[in-house]
Amino acid sequence: MSFLELKNVSVGFGPSSSRVEVLRDINLSVKEKEFVAIIGFSGAGKSTLMSVLAGLQPPSSGEVTKAGKRMTGPGPDRGLMFQNYSLLPWLSVFDNIKLAVDRVFPQLSKSEKADKIHHYIEMVKLGHAPDKKPHELSGGMRQRASLARTLALDPEILLLDEPLSALDALTRSEIQDQILNIWETDKRTVVMITNDVDEAVLMADRIIPLTMGPGATLATEFPVHMDRPRDRHTLNENPEFMRLKSEITRFLMGLNQESKNMSKNQVIPMPDIRPKDFSLPTARPRLKNKTEQPTNPRSAA
Amino acid sequence: MNLLKKIKYPLLKGIDFTGLTFLSPVVRLAYGEEPSVQMKKIGQWIIIPIIAILLFVFSWSVVSGNIRTKSGTLPNPVETSQALNAINTFAEREKIKRDAYNLTGEERLKEIETAKARLAEIQPLVASRNEAVAKAKAAHAEVITSKTGPLRAKYDNLKASFKDAQAARKTALEETASTLQPGNKASYQALIASIKADIDATSGEKDELRLLKSDIDDAAAEKSKDVAKALYAQTKIAEEVQFLEKQIDQLTRDNRGEKIIEAQAKIDTETEALTALTGPEAFKKARTIARNEERLEKTISSSYAMPKTFWYQVRRSVLCVFTGFILGSVVAIPIGILCGLNSTFMAAMTPFVAIFKPVSPIVWLPICLIIASFYVPSPEDSGFMKWLWEIPLIGPYEINPAFIASAATVALCSLWATLANTALGVASIDKDHMNVARVLKLGFWSRLFKIVIPSALPLIFAGLRISLGVGWMVLIAAELLASSEGIGKFVWDQFNNGGSDSFAKMVVVVFIVGFIGLLLDRIMVVFQRLVSFEGGAASV
Repeated sequence: MSFLELKNVSVGFGPSSSRVEVLRDINLSVKEKEFVAIIGFSGAGKSTLMSVLAGLQPPSSGEVTKAGKRMTGPGPDRGLMFQNYSLLPWLSVFDNIKLAVDRVFPQLSKSEKADKIHHYIEMVKLGHAPDKKPHELSGGMRQRASLARTLALDPEILLLDEPLSALDALTRSEIQDQILNIWETDKRTVVMITNDVDEAVLMADRIIPLTMGPGATLATEFPVHMDRPRDRHTLNENPEFMRLKSEITRFLMGLNQESKNMSKNQVIPMPDIRPKDFSLPTARPRLKNKTEQPTNPRSAA
Repeated sequence: MNLLKKIKYPLLKGIDFTGLTFLSPVVRLAYGEEPSVQMKKIGQWIIIPIIAILLFVFSWSVVSGNIRTKSGTLPNPVETSQALNAINTFAEREKIKRDAYNLTGEERLKEIETAKARLAEIQPLVASRNEAVAKAKAAHAEVITSKTGPLRAKYDNLKASFKDAQAARKTALEETASTLQPGNKASYQALIASIKADIDATSGEKDELRLLKSDIDDAAAEKSKDVAKALYAQTKIAEEVQFLEKQIDQLTRDNRGEKIIEAQAKIDTETEALTALTGPEAFKKARTIARNEERLEKTISSSYAMPKTFWYQVRRSVLCVFTGFILGSVVAIPIGILCGLNSTFMAAMTPFVAIFKPVSPIVWLPICLIIASFYVPSPEDSGFMKWLWEIPLIGPYEINPAFIASAATVALCSLWATLANTALGVASIDKDHMNVARVLKLGFWSRLFKIVIPSALPLIFAGLRISLGVGWMVLIAAELLASSEGIGKFVWDQFNNGGSDSFAKMVVVVFIVGFIGLLLDRIMVVFQRLVSFEGGAASV
């Protein structure tokens, strides 16, 4: 029973003469309350895929459906958490979240809204800094504030666009745990884009690799059969984790190799020119037959 | 002690915020933070500027004496500060006269006493100062005669000797002419040559005399510092005497309360007399009483016709620049936002911006003045103007068509910077912030007020700051042309009336205008810092 579906989605840019196809024939179906991770190299078109899911980028062909209904344009039902936080720098954490709450729950009274905002602030453990401006926060705190804003939309689908890629390892694992906690207490559909295999295996129900662009498409998925909650401390002893990790890594390396080979096999035609010989003429008897002239050392080699 | 520690960082932050960064090493030094580093900074940012200012004042006083014009030499720093004092004294005295007009009862009597005492105190000074001036002039005349005397004698001697020489040359030439032999061409030529030589010699002698004469004139025209000092002292005391006499008039003869009492008494006696009369006489008397009562009403509501003081004109100029600035901003910001949001609208506006931006205030002003005085031909009869005059704070500044035209000129010249910066700020809004708006599906208005304007605010304020600076520069010229009561008019009046210290007063205006411009800029810097959100310092 698929909830969110992409059917034959392609996205291309540029005029038809020199069109670059970023995504080609993407087919994806996500079940309700499922956690799907899409993994791929940078530049593969992951963010474009996310923009299509969020409705910020209309697909050139194909369609996006939610619960069988075709979707056009963005909306608060798909909460997108941006890669670079996208907090409004002139608003405090509280006011940034208020923007979302005002939009989704306009009927609430002022104090009810405040309660709701504080609820989300507590959820991401920013209770000590609701009045701070984004530039006063660390990268991890900004990303948590951004998460709180996204959650405050109460979205049916949570779209996480490489949410943790800009953070250091410690902050990263901390926020991973927070996201998992929140998801486990209040399950909803999640599509997360990442370039970190460990992160994907730790968090997702299914991992789908995106092949190298241009013309990237989704490869065969890797289902994750591991019990939840998953404990990151024992993961390294979990054979399933190790197996998935190495399989996915091998697959991705293969993709990388493939794309490298592809670029290697591309023959770039060189102009057919021969270097001119500027060496001084030496006193040597002129040969009658031209073909017997000493050959250029380059062409000899 | 603890409190002192607590306010250190807020204090430093405040200094940074207002752009008075030269003060921050002083504060740091006061807290004993790295004294050597702070001393170096103080040396660089406080001592060096002070030395530069002193050097400037010194070279100003040296150079000013050598720049001679028809209105005297360029005022030196001392004369300039004296002119500032004169401006202040005038303003203070006018205020005292106005108060004197309204004083009644005990206070009035006390005031009369002090004024009279002061008058008695300075009265003898008048004579002594007059004497001093006469003495200084006589001394100076003596100095001049002692200098010019020998020169004159030399001149007379030279003149006499030249006259003799000329006469001698003439007789010699005449003699030559009488001995000429007809037919001898060479001798005729020789005569012409010697006549030419005579003319040259005569004109050379004349030049020499002229040079000597101009030396004599220069020596005679030499100004004496003592005379100037004595004259200054004399004028000062004479002005004070005049002021005190006028003040006493305002306290006694011309005092409003006194006039009221006098008029009331007159009406009372006449009313009493009226009761005994009948017929045409009664009619005549009653009419007189009615007229007198009307006059009394006018006296009660009257006030001292105070001339405009310089500080009043400064305040009016500031009011005018803000009026024009706000007028311009109200137009520029919405248009700028529309330009930034919509490239088609921007394309439509570009030619107007390009054409109107370089137009000088001197062109806008007459146009604005014609329009303003068409709609408000006589301010006294205009309901709108009268309404403006009733508003508490701005009422006393008597807004009139000249004021409106000056403000409109300021607006027309200054709005372009705000317009361009607003358009830039709105157009360069972060794409991610727009995506946030799209995901939230904000409507046009909430997108405008919650995302677009806040994100463009720092650049809008940078534009406003430039606009206010331009406006202040333009305003003085506009006021001068429109003769709108303000700094510009003050300069024009000084230029036209040519008093002894008019030139110095104009130099005072240079500094006052510069100082107010600096103040306005600082205010805008603070605003700019308040709206800049990245925590980064806005450019100073």
